[in-house]
Amino acid sequence: MQNFTNETIDLNALPKFEETPLTHPHQKYWNVMLINLVLFLAFIGIGLSLLIVFKQEVQKNWMLWAGLFIGFAAFLFLLYRASFKRRGFALREKDVLYKSGIIAETTTIVPLNRIQHVALNEGFLSRMFHLGTLQIYTAGGSTGEIRIAGVPIEQAKAIKEALVQRLVINSKPETT
Amino acid sequence: MSLDFSQPQRQSTAGILISGAYTVQQFVRAMFIPLAIFLIKSNKAALLYTVLGLVGVLIISLIYGYFYYRKFTFYLDPLKREFVIDKGVFGRKQLSIPMEKIQQVNINQGFLQKLIGVYSLQIDTAGSDSKEVNISAISGEIAFALKEHLLNGDREIDTAIPGELTNQPTAAKETPFIKIGVSTLLKIGLTSNYGQSMVLLLGFGYAVFHNIKEVLRAFDNDNGQVEQFFKSGVTIISISVLLMVLVLVLLITNVIRTFVKYFDFQISKHHQSLLISSGLLAKKNTLLHPDKVQITQFSQNYFQKKIGLFNMALKQAHAGKEQTEKEVRSNNLEVPGCSAIEKDEIMRMILSKLPTEGATYRPNFRYLNLPILFWLILPSIIYGAVYYFDSAVRPFFPVAIAYIFIAMLMIYISYTKHRIIVSEDFIIKQSGIWDISKEIVQPHKIQSISTSQFPWHRSLDIGHLTIHTAAGNISFSYGNFTEIKNLVNWWLYQVECGEKDWM
Repeated sequence: MQNFTNETIDLNALPKFEETPLTHPHQKYWNVMLINLVLFLAFIGIGLSLLIVFKQEVQKNWMLWAGLFIGFAAFLFLLYRASFKRRGFALREKDVLYKSGIIAETTTIVPLNRIQHVALNEGFLSRMFHLGTLQIYTAGGSTGEIRIAGVPIEQAKAIKEALVQRLVINSKPETT
Repeated sequence: MSLDFSQPQRQSTAGILISGAYTVQQFVRAMFIPLAIFLIKSNKAALLYTVLGLVGVLIISLIYGYFYYRKFTFYLDPLKREFVIDKGVFGRKQLSIPMEKIQQVNINQGFLQKLIGVYSLQIDTAGSDSKEVNISAISGEIAFALKEHLLNGDREIDTAIPGELTNQPTAAKETPFIKIGVSTLLKIGLTSNYGQSMVLLLGFGYAVFHNIKEVLRAFDNDNGQVEQFFKSGVTIISISVLLMVLVLVLLITNVIRTFVKYFDFQISKHHQSLLISSGLLAKKNTLLHPDKVQITQFSQNYFQKKIGLFNMALKQAHAGKEQTEKEVRSNNLEVPGCSAIEKDEIMRMILSKLPTEGATYRPNFRYLNLPILFWLILPSIIYGAVYYFDSAVRPFFPVAIAYIFIAMLMIYISYTKHRIIVSEDFIIKQSGIWDISKEIVQPHKIQSISTSQFPWHRSLDIGHLTIHTAAGNISFSYGNFTEIKNLVNWWLYQVECGEKDWM
């Protein structure tokens, strides 16, 4: 790393993104995820039970199918739980951080002066729990964007406002 | 016609013809096979009706073309600094493009346009669909004057219009600094872009096969002759002859493609932009602003290294949308072949200085794990299983061994070539197996950065890095994670404290 050191900046003194304390999604968001999961599983479960009732071959070894279904449900539950536990975001003075991932842990950082626009979505379920999803867009395409789900709606609005204010300040010198 | 662009004006009257012809072309292309079958199968009366119908289509197209021409106007709004197009016969549409958002202006001349002597002008912005902003027929004089206005925006441009307008207008004041001659083109054709030509040939072969079957079916006598023909011809000798013929065809197609696309390729400096023109049948002129280039890429394969040629690609912002291959190509300006000196010249023009050497970061040997699993171990297991149960694949045992060796070599080469080189002003990513490419990004072009790590790599301190730019992603895998995190902090500092805009 010595290759970078020039007189003015000490690289080790730079703020470290990996040490930023993260805010996790609101606990209520776990309910939203759980409801989603249950709905999804119910859908598959209904399909499976219809098969068991009407198809002879499936009926014969219904124990196996039911076992598979329960195993699948437990697996998904664990994945969802892991995914929920891993999520976290932070708003720094000059950028936004978001960490997520089920197996691999991915951290995406968007500098505020590269944000194109910010959207605040409220899904049907999220609305019932007063939660919102913040989406932060850059010109870098969908892979480099941040989508923070499960933020309490008041806080989400405040963050969005802050980011938008920031955008206006940033783009002002351009227009004048 | 006046060259005052602040007043709304129409295309050249030839636009009626062009848009009419375009409609007919679309129609014929869509209806070609049904029409051909219909013609073969039908009697004379029906034929007459078909011809009448076609004439009808032509007339309607021309009438539509006329109204389209009447309703299509464009002008430059000097106050708002916008280029405005009004169009639409049934529904009206107004497009306004802020001048500073314009990435490049293309002036093309297709075959029909060459006959009539007009040009089409296309404006590329980051994000818009380029087909939207397309003026299909204007005279060369207006096209080049307009291009000048569009790209130089606020600067006052003298109204002196170059008198002579050939395919290389204003040639008097620009001397091209890169010019690709016939012999270089031949070299390029023989050494590069095999992949693209192969895809093209495969597509062509499939289309021929499909169409022959279609025609045979139309005569109700498709008894699988085509398949039969292919089956009967397969012996070891015929396969090797066929392979040689294929390689030859591939090379010839490659050379022809290169000539059609890049004949008379020139790059010249033009105020602060680059003017790139090429094309044998259809002339393509592109003007682009160096600041709008997001990723500068150059590549070389073994043959090109021997003769000292580079391929270059200048990638521009595409707003992160999914793109068709055609759009990608229009966004990525390619320089088919240039010498080391010319390459440096282009880079100096775009990056304002040559990349300096910096710290090199190489991947951990675990980089090899996944490719070996997917390309060597899994196929071997599958082949082994099939080998055990089915004797038909046993004669291919030597092929399988050869495959394993070649694949192993390729994976190993890709591992040794994968690296990033970081200096204060540049990030250079090197990768490739046959074509070794280097992608150069300046830190201020970064849009966002991602890092990722698998839990089992935590104790080994290995992680991955992806840099997102407006022209695509650049990733570096299996690096030392502590170093990656330091780099990320450094780049973030550069982006967040820097005043430089990315576009």
